[in-house]
Amino acid sequence: MLAIRAGTIMMKSGAEIYRVEDTIERICKACGIEYVNVFATPTGVFVSTDNEEASNTVTYIKRVKSSETDLTKISKVNQFSRTFTTTDMTVEEGEKILDDIEKNKPYPFWIRALSAAAVTACFSVIFGGGALDFCVTVIVGLLCYMLSRFLEKYEINFFIRGFCCCAFAAFFALLAAASIDGVSYAPVISGCIMLFVPGIAITNSIRDFLSGNMLAGVARLTEAIIIGVSLAAGAGVVLEIWYMMGGLAI
Amino acid sequence: MMNLVSQFVLALFATMGFAVIFRVPARHIPACVIVGALGWVTYLITDYNIDSPAIACFFGACMVGLCSAVSAHIFKEAMTIFIIPGILCLVPGANIFYTMEALLRSDIEKMAEVGIQTILMAGAIAMGLLAMGAVINVVRALLSKTISIKDKL
Repeated sequence: MLAIRAGTIMMKSGAEIYRVEDTIERICKACGIEYVNVFATPTGVFVSTDNEEASNTVTYIKRVKSSETDLTKISKVNQFSRTFTTTDMTVEEGEKILDDIEKNKPYPFWIRALSAAAVTACFSVIFGGGALDFCVTVIVGLLCYMLSRFLEKYEINFFIRGFCCCAFAAFFALLAAASIDGVSYAPVISGCIMLFVPGIAITNSIRDFLSGNMLAGVARLTEAIIIGVSLAAGAGVVLEIWYMMGGLAI
Repeated sequence: MMNLVSQFVLALFATMGFAVIFRVPARHIPACVIVGALGWVTYLITDYNIDSPAIACFFGACMVGLCSAVSAHIFKEAMTIFIIPGILCLVPGANIFYTMEALLRSDIEKMAEVGIQTILMAGAIAMGLLAMGAVINVVRALLSKTISIKDKL
């Protein structure tokens, strides 16, 4: 079913619930299905369609597996649903376009890694770091992002991923602070934390609450809190161990 | 003033990084970047004048919401694309860390202080987006009403 595929792609890429439900409903209406009921959550999409007689009810359930933010896909599916509803595109053509969208290539890895380094380094200065901190954070941020991608490849869940990356960042920050004069660890670690902060979960959960999707709102809020805790715990464990090992001059 | 400019530039680059990581379509990156940097500068100015990070976060989030709505309207795109990279600058990532650090030093007083501020700031971001969302809906409704009245006349 075309509509539900479009919906699933959007949900995977991190769209809000109401946008997913709206898109599915519009596509169904454009196909001439009068009665559509959509219920979407971050982990699954349910669509039920029927015509006048209640006996013809058809229900689709699609489980949405773990997601990765891809705003290009959201934008493309958005445009697709607009063209699909306004022109008389056939379902087969639509399927083909969705295939293309799903195969959409992200930016090359090195560009993403460099931008991750830019994020961490800029934030380390915003949080009161100096020029030396900037240089250290570029390297630590780069390594952190690579580690996160590496863990993602082996489908390690997001809690452990956040924990490991932050622990890693904290370790290197402390190492740099201990070995290089004039580097302080706090801006470096907080810069790296910014890379993994659950901004999308927070933003989307608010917008879900706002549009009345309480279930999705709660789910995403919980996700945000859990990620936040995992980040703090990751950095905290390493700091604690560092102090216990004798603390070396910090 | 100089400080503000340098912060603006830093926020520009930071938002650009986020935009690339979250795969914003390349042609929308400039708009995203400006939204993010404006949000951060709004935060800084309010924080400087009122000296309350939570309220500053609120205004920063309002700014991000407003700019995103405007750019979403101009480019005929989903608002999410502009909001997500823009809002990330305001998220209190450093405070998460300082809360943790205070906890490790068993400095409960400081932990409570920073921790509560972190929660307040996150809440303020939420409130800012919420308030802006409501305002935008009202404005949009008013606009469509005036257009339909114009059509009738």
